[in-house]
Amino acid sequence: MSIHNDSEFKSALDQLPVAEQRKLAARFAQSVSPLCKDSRVAAAIEAGLQSVTGDDKLTPIYNAVRGVCVESYTECGHMADWANQAGHFVAEAAAACVMPEVALHGANPAWDAAMRARMARTCASIADGSGTETSEAKNQYHLLDEYLNA
Amino acid sequence: MSAKALEHGINAFVEQIDRPVASFFNSCVHCGMCADACLFYTETGDPKYTPIHKLEPMRKVWKQKFTFWGKLMYKLGLSKPVTEAELEEWEPLVYDSCTLCGRCSLVCPVGNDITYMIRKAREGMVAAGHAPDGLKGATIRAVEIGSPMGVTWKTVQAQIKHTQENTGLQIPVDQKGADYMVIMSSMEIVNFPEYLGSLARIFKEAGISWTICSDATEATNSGIQIGSSDIAAQLVQRIVDGAEKLGVKYVISPECGHAYTAIRWEGPNLIGRPYPFEVIHILELLDQLREQGRLRTEGTETARMSFHDPCQLVRRGGLVEQPRRLLKMVASNYVDMPDPGIWNWCCGGGGGVSANDRADALQLRVFSRKKSQLDTARVETLVTCCANCRIVLEDGLEHYQMAIPVVGLTETLAKHLVTTPQETAKTETEQGEG
Repeated sequence: MSIHNDSEFKSALDQLPVAEQRKLAARFAQSVSPLCKDSRVAAAIEAGLQSVTGDDKLTPIYNAVRGVCVESYTECGHMADWANQAGHFVAEAAAACVMPEVALHGANPAWDAAMRARMARTCASIADGSGTETSEAKNQYHLLDEYLNA
Repeated sequence: MSAKALEHGINAFVEQIDRPVASFFNSCVHCGMCADACLFYTETGDPKYTPIHKLEPMRKVWKQKFTFWGKLMYKLGLSKPVTEAELEEWEPLVYDSCTLCGRCSLVCPVGNDITYMIRKAREGMVAAGHAPDGLKGATIRAVEIGSPMGVTWKTVQAQIKHTQENTGLQIPVDQKGADYMVIMSSMEIVNFPEYLGSLARIFKEAGISWTICSDATEATNSGIQIGSSDIAAQLVQRIVDGAEKLGVKYVISPECGHAYTAIRWEGPNLIGRPYPFEVIHILELLDQLREQGRLRTEGTETARMSFHDPCQLVRRGGLVEQPRRLLKMVASNYVDMPDPGIWNWCCGGGGGVSANDRADALQLRVFSRKKSQLDTARVETLVTCCANCRIVLEDGLEHYQMAIPVVGLTETLAKHLVTTPQETAKTETEQGEG
């Protein structure tokens, strides 16, 4: 495996064109997608995997998945539901895949999705009481390696 | 609610009517300027949301118990006592339609601190059993679990581990003799774990000696919001105990509005003694580091960025220029919204409103003011430094179908942080070892 740490991971992602960053973002989100059952999230990930392009197509998908992100935030003073919170971060990862060009402002969708996917996994580990061991980062290094070597 | 609860509430009002409150009631000239300063009045046009009107039950108690003519009229039966029905009617006015934003206090021509009075009135309301269920639940959890959102030390540990994995940096815990102790809001643990990672990276680069205290991670204070000084004092004491145990010189208040009010301004009075350490807001510290050349950034954001001023930090806390100086380090296209700084309009969810589900519809309605500010300034990315504001803004933007990203200031700075090669090398080594 050629990617060993986040420094290499981010550097490799930064070198890819946005269209490929989106595709990888979708793979990172897909990896944690079982933690969120919302169909709008699934649609956003699918759009990322299918390389949907153009703001006219991306915007409605993005708006729909942003709706899930906002709905699933745990509001201040409310009891945290960690399973729900895992779903929230999956939605955020999915949103990164389909963020319209006009809103990107130099952001890297793949990096954003990767970070959100890791947060989703951490929340899931809190929810199921399994402790704090997660291997999402290593899984993402592997997915990137696979992609680069394909 | 029982007659005894009502009596408790009235007694609590009496106890809360100190010299400032009495003089404020006495000097009100009924000019109505506070109405035009209040988000809930300007966005609804309903006169019941006039700030001074929200204090009517307390004003009635003041008049009947503390003024000559009021006492006389009460004795003659010409003035009726405050009733249970009145408290029930006023509960939504005191809790749902006041974010303790302080704008009314700022405009009052005779200098009445109406926000201070609302804070006092809540003491009476909660003593009478008239507080929203959401805030009651949050307060009970804060006392029993240590967090209004039920965050336990185990969950904090999980986020610490997540942060360590993602940054390659060690998060110091219970380090005696560290200079700074970091406290966080539960919101930062649950919704914005990137805050901790941003701190770790910035502090590493600036050479800050810091720690988290396992006995005192929570910065928020539901006691302040619901209006219970006893509970507020208990929650402040936990932080003070933790800081004293570790012997830190500073406690860093996080990106949370009311937490700063609680620990910085009300805390020493609540516990009845000065702290043996200083409280500093994270933005104050970052601005100091900027000035000393210990916080260096590279690159800028090209989007048209603006800063939403959290009321408790800016208007009531005095942190007006620090966030702007910091943001301008990384924003090449910064623009202020209309009424910036101390005149800013609240997001609509402060002061416990966002913990109160009953207030949801009203909160979204009054967001129309923020929408108008954002439209006027043609903002493309909104930055703030309060986790609660952040989610309330997201809610409002979603409601009004506005596609504007909302980001935290500390994480925005961390994104552009200049890191030394040594740090990168060490990060890789640490990760390799892990």
